[in-house]
Amino acid sequence: MKKFISLLMMLVLVLSLAACGAKEDTKETIKTDSTDGTVEETTTDVQEEPEDVVLDFLWFSDGVETQVMEEIMENYKEENPHVSFNLIEVAFDDLDAKLKTMIAGGNAPALARITNPGLLFNQSIDIAPALGGYDAVTSQYMDSLKPYYSKDGKVYGVPMDVTANGMIYNKSLFAEAGVEVPASSSDIWTWDEFEVAIQTVVDKTDAKYGLLWDFSPHRWSTLMYEFGGQFINDEGTKATVNSPEAIAALQYFVDLHKKGIIPESIWLGGENPNNLFRSGTAAAHVSGNWMVSSYRDIEAFDWGVTYMPIAKNRASVPGGKYLMAFKESDVEEEATKFIGYFMSKENTGKYCSESFFLSPRLDNADLSYEFGGEMFTIFSDELANTPQSAASDWSKQDIIPVVYSDIKEAIVEAILGSMTPEEAFNDLADTINGAIEDK
Amino acid sequence: MAHKNKINRQKRIAPYLFLLPNLSIFIVFIVAPALYGVYYSFTDYDGLNKAKFIGLENYIEIFGDMKFWLIFKQTGIYAAIVVPGIFLFALGVALLLIQKIKFKPVFRAAIYWPTMISFVVVGVTWKWIFGDSFGVLNYLIELMGREGIPWLTDPFFARMTVVIATLWCRVGFYMVIFMAGLQNIPLQYYEAARIDGATKVLAFRYITLPLLKPTSVMVIMLCIIDSFKAYPLIVSLTGGGPGKTTTYLVQYIYRYGFEKSKLGYASAMSVLLFAVIAIITAIQFRSKKEDM
Amino acid sequence: MKKLSNSSIYIVLTFVSILMLIPVLWIILSSFKSGMDLYEWPPRLIPKTFSLDNYKAAFSQGNFLLYFGNSLFVTIASTALTLLINSMAGFALAKYKFKGRQFIFIVFISTLMIPLEVIMIPIFTIISRLGLYNSFLGLIIPPAATPTGLFLIRQFLLSVPDSILEAARIDGASEWEIYWKLILPIAKPVISVLAIFSFMWRWNDFLWPLIVISDPKKYTVQLAISNFIGEFNVDWNSLIAMSVLTMIPVLIVFILFQKNFVQGMVTSGMKD
Repeated sequence: MKKFISLLMMLVLVLSLAACGAKEDTKETIKTDSTDGTVEETTTDVQEEPEDVVLDFLWFSDGVETQVMEEIMENYKEENPHVSFNLIEVAFDDLDAKLKTMIAGGNAPALARITNPGLLFNQSIDIAPALGGYDAVTSQYMDSLKPYYSKDGKVYGVPMDVTANGMIYNKSLFAEAGVEVPASSSDIWTWDEFEVAIQTVVDKTDAKYGLLWDFSPHRWSTLMYEFGGQFINDEGTKATVNSPEAIAALQYFVDLHKKGIIPESIWLGGENPNNLFRSGTAAAHVSGNWMVSSYRDIEAFDWGVTYMPIAKNRASVPGGKYLMAFKESDVEEEATKFIGYFMSKENTGKYCSESFFLSPRLDNADLSYEFGGEMFTIFSDELANTPQSAASDWSKQDIIPVVYSDIKEAIVEAILGSMTPEEAFNDLADTINGAIEDK
Repeated sequence: MAHKNKINRQKRIAPYLFLLPNLSIFIVFIVAPALYGVYYSFTDYDGLNKAKFIGLENYIEIFGDMKFWLIFKQTGIYAAIVVPGIFLFALGVALLLIQKIKFKPVFRAAIYWPTMISFVVVGVTWKWIFGDSFGVLNYLIELMGREGIPWLTDPFFARMTVVIATLWCRVGFYMVIFMAGLQNIPLQYYEAARIDGATKVLAFRYITLPLLKPTSVMVIMLCIIDSFKAYPLIVSLTGGGPGKTTTYLVQYIYRYGFEKSKLGYASAMSVLLFAVIAIITAIQFRSKKEDM
Repeated sequence: MKKLSNSSIYIVLTFVSILMLIPVLWIILSSFKSGMDLYEWPPRLIPKTFSLDNYKAAFSQGNFLLYFGNSLFVTIASTALTLLINSMAGFALAKYKFKGRQFIFIVFISTLMIPLEVIMIPIFTIISRLGLYNSFLGLIIPPAATPTGLFLIRQFLLSVPDSILEAARIDGASEWEIYWKLILPIAKPVISVLAIFSFMWRWNDFLWPLIVISDPKKYTVQLAISNFIGEFNVDWNSLIAMSVLTMIPVLIVFILFQKNFVQGMVTSGMKD
């Protein structure tokens, strides 16, 4: 036993010395915060060439988009040999915590793939001056996205892709049951008609599930916008989630569960709807365009995209990710330059078409896809027919992300039956109003 | 005489030297950050922007936060079920495993194995087993003609599932601790008892149990602390759901800290959590003082 | 009589072991189900076709040999450190009477009560200031001072008679010699337990690597596995294959060390 410990200690000693030597090849920066808020930094270069730059890029991976981004980075490196990238991949759920620890600890990354830019405006770089000015930048992208990534004439990042919610369905099951889906956008089914269709499919085939709906407030809100509801008023001063329209949307959602059209196991049991759909036993799945790439490898049955049923109006919900550069990363200039590179029609187009994403650029409207082109057309159409209330809500990034789990909980409570939809949303309205005050 | 003085001097400073490495790491990497955390609890820190001192505001808000106390109660109930469960199960298995039987290494490895698996994988696996529509257990139940049970969809069953998963992946750990403790008990005692004609039950009650006290106290303390801190397993199994019914303190605190960007408030909750666990442990400590 | 009670013991232990192992078996067998077979309904325990596809896919997505190597290095180094400093500290707290003894013990135990997730940011700030950001030392040193380990050793050593120590002192042994030559051998069972535990803890550490490491070349295995979890998609196939592989080292360590805390137990315990 003693010998073992002595051996281990020697091993530790040797290896730690080796590790010490192999520690860091990049620049070392020591920062000190003084109490009046100024930051002192002393930077020492460990390497010989002062020009070489490493861009830390905080990232999460859903599928092929990582390889596509890596290609784009490679291309950039060819044109800019002094720049190299350090892609820091983490699980999606951990990105927020990782980013905050890095920033708070004085090691902000150069770039990051961000879901909620609004919360990070204070920590990110205004890229407008370097890239042509506010109007020049924002005019290249879809108008509805502006509030997500810009504020008060400053631009804090650029959209990488835009996502649309929509309906994916099991073609084989529908064919087997002899049920047809809307042939075009002028032919869209109402929710009543849709219910009948789904019920028929489930009855006439061995499908176990009717409609799957992602366990996400973002996806659920599609229904609310169709019913004419909204989480917060346009000005952002008051919660409107307890309006009759929104409550009606929730009531309908609860009813769909009660009727067995939507299985309870998703919103109550955390069951993953992707797995359920893959098993081929579900008729339809309300999700979004990002699933096109993911479901591509399904061989056991045919699937496709169709139109969401219409309530008072049609709706989808815009989403997407943003590329942001951060202050105090030491490489702000280079990071901004890369954003400029990525922004181009060519590069954003490449990223989106090869990752099977929708492009946020106005001049990428006719992007060609290797697969699923007709599906993206439908998704784009859904987005084009979305009331302005959707973007208004989801761009309020200093409020919505904060109450995200509260929205989830309210809906769950209503499905569970421990609260009526009215009670749940009245409660939620209080919470949202509280968050507005706290802002 | 000089020799004795030398011994005494060595004896006096030795403990401090022995403690130094461990203590210094604690202080630098755990105590210091914790003190930071306490400082945050008096501010409105959001994890990103500068923290502003707000005094006791967070604490006052917590006292009125019904959700927090609900979660607190839930965690307490979870601990109250899990701790005795683990204690009895682990002790029972450990006792069985010191009997004269074969294949002990196999049994030990089998029971210990679940503890070695990372929580994410445990959660995922049990989700496969307990999944409502897509779970193995319900599949088997339905094969037998009965209706599947909403393991993860119904609050009651979800809590039960969480307890079962916890027991499954923690028993092995405490079993090993008990075994180490049991092996500390001198054989002669049992011999003497046997010669005196004592039954196994009596031997257990008057030899094993008392001499196992330090180990038992440690197991209970660690188990209580563990259950109040339960987080990764539950999150990967139920996500805290359905709704909030299997959400416990650390998940709630973590959510507040990062999702809602209210790190100051979350820190205040952590301070309270710490205080509660400390009090429970202190009470335990005191009641077993003679043998501690 | 003996045979009967023994067989009931076997039955109980076998039953418990099977319960414990079924989910594990599920994981292992599932790792050999390729592609869509993993999502098959109705589920089957044994794969239709045994395939190594998942393993191949996982290895192609990341340099898993490197990650395993990193994890191994960090785990062994940290465990060695833990065994040393925990046993020293546990010894001090168990066998010496000195001022602050209770207080220090309470400080140690109380650090157990702090969930790491909550103090992530301050920890990172300190790690950063000490220049440990992105360094393996940042993964080896901070978690090495395990309160549980210290607790274990202290409890164990409490039952060592003081007389043995006194005798050694009278014989002229220094305090260090007492620790090294007397206490450590006695504590072999509990140190073996700690070795097993520490290996498992460090091997499965996730939060520390997440906070400290940003260089993908220094990723540990657990960190790399978590990357298979995206926002909408989880690459279950790769995740499961890698998870199975990560179980192996911990199991090996357990098997190697378990005889140590069992020595002397072969004849201990209650007999008829």
